[in-house]
Parts: sequence; C-alpha cells; structure tokens
Amino acid sequence: MLRFVVNRLLLALPTLWAVLTLVFVLVRVVPGDPTIVVLGDQATPAARAALRERLGLDKPLVAQYADFMLQIARGDLGKSLVTNRPITTDVAAVLPYTIELTIAALIIGSVIGIPLGVVAAQRRDGFVDWLARIVSLAGLSFPAFVSGILLLIAFAVELRWFPVISTVTGTDPMQRLRALALPAINLGLIMVAYVTRVTRSGMLKALGDDYVRTARAKGLPKRIVVWRHALRNVLIPIVTVIGLYLGVLIGNAVLTEIVFNRPGLGKLIVSALNQRDYSLLQGLMVVTALAVVVANILTDLTYGLVDPRVKAG
Amino acid sequence: MSSATAVVVAAPSAWKRATRSGGLAVGLALALTMVVIAIAAPWIAPFDPNDQDVLLKLEPPSAAHLFGTDAFGRDVLSRVIYGARISLFVGALATLAGVVIGTVIGVVSGYLGGVIDRLITAATDVLLSFPQLIMGLMLVAVLGANLFNLILAIAITAVPAFIRVARASTLAMKERDFVDACRALGFGDPRIMFLHVLPNIMDEVVVMASLWFAAAIRTESTLAFIGLGVPPPTATWGGIIRDGFDNLLDASWLSIFPSLAILTIMIALNLIGDGLRDASDPRAPQ
Repeated sequence: MLRFVVNRLLLALPTLWAVLTLVFVLVRVVPGDPTIVVLGDQATPAARAALRERLGLDKPLVAQYADFMLQIARGDLGKSLVTNRPITTDVAAVLPYTIELTIAALIIGSVIGIPLGVVAAQRRDGFVDWLARIVSLAGLSFPAFVSGILLLIAFAVELRWFPVISTVTGTDPMQRLRALALPAINLGLIMVAYVTRVTRSGMLKALGDDYVRTARAKGLPKRIVVWRHALRNVLIPIVTVIGLYLGVLIGNAVLTEIVFNRPGLGKLIVSALNQRDYSLLQGLMVVTALAVVVANILTDLTYGLVDPRVKAG
Repeated sequence: MSSATAVVVAAPSAWKRATRSGGLAVGLALALTMVVIAIAAPWIAPFDPNDQDVLLKLEPPSAAHLFGTDAFGRDVLSRVIYGARISLFVGALATLAGVVIGTVIGVVSGYLGGVIDRLITAATDVLLSFPQLIMGLMLVAVLGANLFNLILAIAITAVPAFIRVARASTLAMKERDFVDACRALGFGDPRIMFLHVLPNIMDEVVVMASLWFAAAIRTESTLAFIGLGVPPPTATWGGIIRDGFDNLLDASWLSIFPSLAILTIMIALNLIGDGLRDASDPRAPQ
C-alpha cells in the first residue's frame, strides 16, 4: 500500500507543475498594462513603476516564472496587494470552512445518491426510479447560486428554520451545524444528482451480468446480491464520478459560500475580484489547483480501497 | 459498402431510442419556445427593459407588472424576456467556438498521433483538471467583463472537453476499413480527416455540444451573478438574480422569476442531451 501511495504522489508532481504553469500564464495574459488595471488610468507613472517593481513585473518573464515556482515550493503565496497580509494567512483562516462544506456535501451526496441509484435500478420505471430521474435532472440543471437562493427564500426567509446569513459564530457545535445545514444541502443536492445517475446506470448494467445471475441461482438472497455483489462492482465508477466532480464541487462551494454569506474561499475570491487584488487572485488559483490535484490523488487512493486489483496492479 | 448499409439500418432505431422516453421532444419544445421568446423580445416584452420608474420601486407582481418591478422600478418580466437574448447568444456562440476549435484539434491530434498527440493530450488533461467555473471566472477577471471576453472565456473552458471527445472518437474511427480505403485511393491527410473522419464522429460531438450549451449558459449566468457578466444596465438573468439577491428579504420575486427561466432552459438542454445520447449509444441503459 505504501508503495502505491508513494507512486501516486510522484505521479502528481508533473500535473502539479503543469497546473501551476497554467496559473502563471493565465494571470499574465492580461492585455495592456496590469498596473493600470490595478491602480486605474489616473495613476502616476512613478506609482505604476513602484507597483511593477513590487509585483516583480519589471523582471524578464523567465525570472518571474522561476520566482513564482520557488515561492510556491517554499509554501509562500505572496502578499495581498490591498492588505499586505501574507496570502497563506488569509487562506488558512477560511480553508477549514470550505473543506467542511465540501465534505458535508460529499457525505450527503453519497448517503442519498448511492441508495437512491440502487433502488431506482432495481425497480426500473417504478416510482423510485422516476423520483431518481427527476432528482438527478434537477440537480444537474440548477446552477448552485439559483438553488441556493431558492433554498434561502423557502427555508430561511419564509419558514425561518435556518439563519439567512450562515456566518459561523462561536464554537457551539449545534450552532455550527445549523449554519452548515442549508449550504451543505445546496451543495449536496448537486452531488446527489451525479452519484444517483452513475449508480443507477452502473447497477442497471451490473444486474444483467452473469455473476449476478450465478449468485442468485445458487440461492443467495436478493438483498445480499444487490448490495454486496453488484454494488461493490459499481463502486469504481461511483468513486470516479465523485473524484471527477470534486472540481465542480469546489467551484460550486465558492458560489454557495457567496449566496449563504459563509466564510470560505468563495468570499475571498469575490473580495479579490472587487478590490482588483491580483496577487490574492493568483494565490487563490494556486490553492484551487492544489485542491484539485489533492482530490485526484485521494480518488486514486480510494480506488485501492474499493478494488484490491488496483493496488496489486 | 457495409458501413453504408449499417447506417441505414441503425437510423430508424436511433430515432426510436431518442423519442422513446419523450424527454427529447419536451426538451426541444421548451428550448424552441425560449429561442422564439428571445428573438421576439422587442414585440412581446410589455415594457422597455431599461425604462426606470422611481415611483414603482420593488412592486410585487400585479396585473400591470406580472413579475413585479426591481429596485429601479424596471419591469422584471421585460427584463427576463430580454435576458433570454444574452444567455442564449453567449451560450450558443461560446459553445460553437468551443466545438469548432476543440473538434479540429481533437481530430488532428487523434489522427496524426505521435509527439503532437502526446503534447495535446497532456495539455488537455491539465486544462480539464481545473474547475471550469473558476477558470471562466479568472479569465473574465483578467480580460475584463464585456460580451466578447465573456464568450471567449466560456469558449476556452469548453475547448478541452471537445478535444478529448473528438480525439477518442477519431482514434476508434481511423482503424476502420473506409479510412484505409481512402489512403489507398491516395487522399491526403486533411481530406481524410475533415471529409471522412469528421462526419463520422459528429454524433458524439453533437451530444456533447447540447450538454455544453447548458454548461455555457450556467457559467454565463453565474458570472453575471458574481458581477462579471455583461455590464449593466443590459438585462441578463444572472444580473437580475443578483439585483434580487440584494433585496432578498423584501422582494423575493425578483430572484424567483429569472431563476425559473434559467431552470427551464437548463432542463430543456439536459433533456435534449440525454435524448441524443440515448440515441447515439444503443447500449446506454435507458
């Protein structure tokens, strides 16, 4: 297992390098002079030159690239243009909230999505199957901010079951959970859609396979065949889909945080955009890139857990 | 000859598969209605979408203003109708650009193989690993929010997905006998790629395009909601929801109607995408 983990980590390095290079290029494709974008066109040439030097934009591109990579290798994301605080401090303060939200959504997605998909496949064209299809169509169709606002209107504004602003105050676990509930349901519903869909189609195929017929023929109860034999073989595509959509989930977590006014990377991104804080924006892109690479590694490690053949091979 | 016969046999059953659940028909009907509304906006909108009336600020839905009015006293129904234009226009153009660029690169990469293919595949993997929404957001943030940059940014996020689909289909297609026959006849690579391989992979590209059309509209409305859409006062669905979000406690209708509009077009396009996919893949569980 250790060798598998080490191999996987080594494989992630080229991807990480490529994604970081992409971030470097993206931030530098700004047409025209980035200092005008940051300072406005009324800025004096001296102020622009000073900013240029502070950002390291006066150096040749290769030197900028080397600086950028070395800085990240040291675990340093630079300083915010606006507050002058280290970006790692700002990110570290809010990252737990985003991780908490994403994990809650993953749990909701798996706990509802997998059983719904299995039952839907078993009773094809029945009531549960139709419900599963409607849930997955709705989950795929709702942009995260639209479903978030509709949930807010229904449960916070009209019914007043949850707070309108999900700011987390204090350490009371019940309060924290209450503030997490609506945002997690919003993000979780999207995950339910993806998980239900892939579980349903995987199970439909698996239930027609020879090994399922054999298991049934030798007298095993249907419950055992469906949940232990068939589902086990569908777990790989389910994990793949969850892993693939972690990227989507991170993007939607950002939106959910904005709608529910919850601390997290989302609010940080919006404030960076509003204040034209390009250093912070670049730092946040690096964090997102790292998150995606880590998510991919975790997905591959999970393969090893659900399918012993992956580890051996 | 044999492949021509296969197509003739497959065609009716594909149509049957596509129309079996009725989802495709519902999706097409909804989407067409939206397109008609967008085109006919100047004739069917009851008011000018940018006409302000300070005496009618945040009026709830009434007979005169079916969807109510916003914080500037503008008619929300008219703004939702005009908003369809921006969403559909940006979505269609960005998807089209993504399809054309992605498919051409994908076909060339898959057909030629070798170093070019390896480089393109590696670049595609990296681009695909980045969340589409964050990528679009960053691109619009650095390029500046206007109609052209919005289309460009959304198109860029779509390109890698189409490269992957077109490449994978091309890899399967180039081993087929008819491609060997083309080579034996002395056809050049460009001719084989674009006149013979391309038409045969189009069904998969079209399925993907219908789903990406939905994704493009979602990205456009999301960016508008964050404040990176077509600048005000132009009516966009995401923009109206953003205005409504600022007045959520006392004017919830402002967010609800444009949300329903987005939802309708998303459901329509997803139904079309699913219907087309079922039609193109006989093995797909229905």
